[in-house]
Amino acid sequence: MKKEKFSELCRSLAQSKEHELTRAILPIVKKQMLKNNKSKLPVIWLETNDSGDNNISFMNTTFPYLGQVLSDMIDLLYSNTFMAAQGPDALNILNQVSSLYRSRFTLVVEGAIPLNSNGLFCSIALTPNRPVTALEAVTTLGNQAQYVVAIGTCASFGGVTAARPNITGSVGVRDVLSSRKVINVSGCPVNPDWFVGTLAHLLMYGLPELDKLNRPNLFYEYTIHRHCQRRSYFDNKDFAEKLGDIECMFSQGCVGPRTNADCPYRQWVNYVSWPVKANTPCIGCTNEDFPDASTPFFMPLNEKVSSRAPQVLFKGKELSDE
Amino acid sequence: MSKQRVMFSPVTRLSGLLSVDAVLEKGKIIDAKASSTMFRGFEQLMRDRKVTDAVYLTQRVCGICSLAHGAVASYLLDEIYDNNLSENAQYLRNVMYAAEFLQNHIRHFYLFSMPDFVKMPERPPFQGQNLTDARLNPEDNQRLVGHYFEAIKAAQRAHEIVALFGGKAPHQHSFLHGGVTVAPTADNVNRAVFLLDAICNFVKSCLVPDTELIAKVYHDYFKIGITPRRLLSFGLFRFGLKNEVYYFKGGVLEGNNLSLPRLDLISESITNSWFAMNNGDLQPDPHKARAYSYVIAAKYAGQYFQVGPLARMIINGRYNGGTSTMDRIYARTIETLLITELMRDWLMRLQPGPPPLAQKDTPIKTQATSVVDSMRGCLLHSAIIQDDQVVKYNIITPTCWNFSPRDAYGQYSPVESALIGTEIPRPDLTYTILGRTVRSFDPCLNCGTHVLDLKGNVKQELMI
Ligand code: SF4
Repeated sequence: MKKEKFSELCRSLAQSKEHELTRAILPIVKKQMLKNNKSKLPVIWLETNDSGDNNISFMNTTFPYLGQVLSDMIDLLYSNTFMAAQGPDALNILNQVSSLYRSRFTLVVEGAIPLNSNGLFCSIALTPNRPVTALEAVTTLGNQAQYVVAIGTCASFGGVTAARPNITGSVGVRDVLSSRKVINVSGCPVNPDWFVGTLAHLLMYGLPELDKLNRPNLFYEYTIHRHCQRRSYFDNKDFAEKLGDIECMFSQGCVGPRTNADCPYRQWVNYVSWPVKANTPCIGCTNEDFPDASTPFFMPLNEKVSSRAPQVLFKGKELSDE
Repeated sequence: MSKQRVMFSPVTRLSGLLSVDAVLEKGKIIDAKASSTMFRGFEQLMRDRKVTDAVYLTQRVCGICSLAHGAVASYLLDEIYDNNLSENAQYLRNVMYAAEFLQNHIRHFYLFSMPDFVKMPERPPFQGQNLTDARLNPEDNQRLVGHYFEAIKAAQRAHEIVALFGGKAPHQHSFLHGGVTVAPTADNVNRAVFLLDAICNFVKSCLVPDTELIAKVYHDYFKIGITPRRLLSFGLFRFGLKNEVYYFKGGVLEGNNLSLPRLDLISESITNSWFAMNNGDLQPDPHKARAYSYVIAAKYAGQYFQVGPLARMIINGRYNGGTSTMDRIYARTIETLLITELMRDWLMRLQPGPPPLAQKDTPIKTQATSVVDSMRGCLLHSAIIQDDQVVKYNIITPTCWNFSPRDAYGQYSPVESALIGTEIPRPDLTYTILGRTVRSFDPCLNCGTHVLDLKGNVKQELMI
């Protein structure tokens, strides 16, 4: 709105009764503020079927710390983990913000979405009449969001929640929202830098460059193996004899050669260590086929696939309804 | 006045998804059902895998207490493989376990519970707080809000200690059967000591006085949310060559009678859980009539028992209060302070040396059960194996004790019994009062992911 038009509006309504001026101006100001307020990303965060490890990992972010992320980077409008509101108040907030910020909010989904039994293996809330399933909530909100971010491997690809035999029929968010782009920030859990960095990219430069699994190249472009501190051991075929050794962990089950992530140089929790530095194998937790292609965890990569145990059928003992 | 249904859903500020369906009559809660609305099926997932995968896989049951699952799975494997634990391994394992406790308890108090008592700034994620019973004066309130943000750093530092020795957190890598794969060295021990110093400072100058302040200002909560005095602990911080010594003793407390826990007295009930027997196998059944939760009820000698910091502290003579909402909050803080002191001692006892790990290769048992307390209380892992493959894996989490649905006889779980009978003087206080009591149990519903019975599998007495 032009300045002249604005002052004209003010002048013509200045003497009017019943707050007509306020009523006319407020929506305009609000619109303008929202338009200019590019400094914070409005976020709606849904927790579905996972272990909650991704919100804990998010709390471990340093530079910026969680407090700074919440005050300066994002407006966390709905989050089962962090919000002060509770019960129906919380659900009302979800309804309000999803329409107020329609097409402008970022939907963060933490966890896989179970499809079996009409999604009843995960409900984000119950109302007096019916459950609100994760399937329903993610489908609805996913189609209203500007960006959809799947945080963690469960939300990205199904992860541990969808590991065999996957009796809940769990899938990643991309399979529920097949008609739109889902940014996958995989990891079990996600490294807070990968997640906060992705949010920062959305905020500052828009959509980041993605790999073929729709993960930000910024963090997932290269394999663990490529930058591993123990690569010289690998190249010299100097393999660890046991866990705890300082040589290459390939012999102990390392999946680093087929896992994309920057753990070797980024490391974890204020950048202090990562699994190979802890003398254990990388278990490939950012992978699309984690964990089934990584188990048995301590078996060398070239033997893993052929090692699948035949299905052992086991009937549980009698468990009565008392 | 007629009955009024209160649908408290979602209960926010916790791990996982929880709803409470309550009935209010004449200003009193006359019925309450705690409902977990998530199911993942971890036991099925564990079948037909190598039993050594358990440490990494079962940590994925729960993000806020993952190390506890890794620990109890490691003890289980120590027994199956007959490992001997070196002293360094014992201290290092318990340093890591203690650090995981600190992050949990600090996060619970400040990030989850505090907004029940303290007015938070009116901006996301605190907007619409609707705290209808805020009693702190403005200065105290302001100070505690500041501590919320300091708590974020203190908890992050606790996880930094886990990562220093464990490679990452959550879901650490080094605490495995046979010991720990990371060596205690001058630099990482020193770094851990300095991180611990900062955490200690925070606990002493913020957590302890803040707990005391809230306990004083909200003193009536020592009379609200009272459960029957039936408390259970498996014991905490396992030491010894065979993990046979528990630093905090386990116990069964009924009124004033204390006895040792016996695993053969543990049973499970699915009466009101969304599960049904199907051809001798337990399957989820989300349409089961009358059922209202994915949590399976765990019972001891046929009765419900409360588990968690309050049970541990009372059983070990470190706290002599009651079983109310404020007692649960208070005992958790006492435990936090105790753990910071223990952890410093254990760090100091570490001797520089190689990674304290000695894994044996051949299982000497085909089944084993191991127990320990996690942050929220009793945790049990049990496995039957063939060669080194899992035939059956069972997990009973603290959530199965505190948050179970009622059984066939209508007995109430600790959380339900704490809620029923609660007075609600004004309707606008309903969620505030219910929220305080529910959160005093430190709810975690990610953990309510388990299936299968134990009956017949476990017959030994706990060595405590
Ligand atoms: S430890 Fe793993 S990632 Fe590192 S060089 Fe060896 S195989 Fe590659």
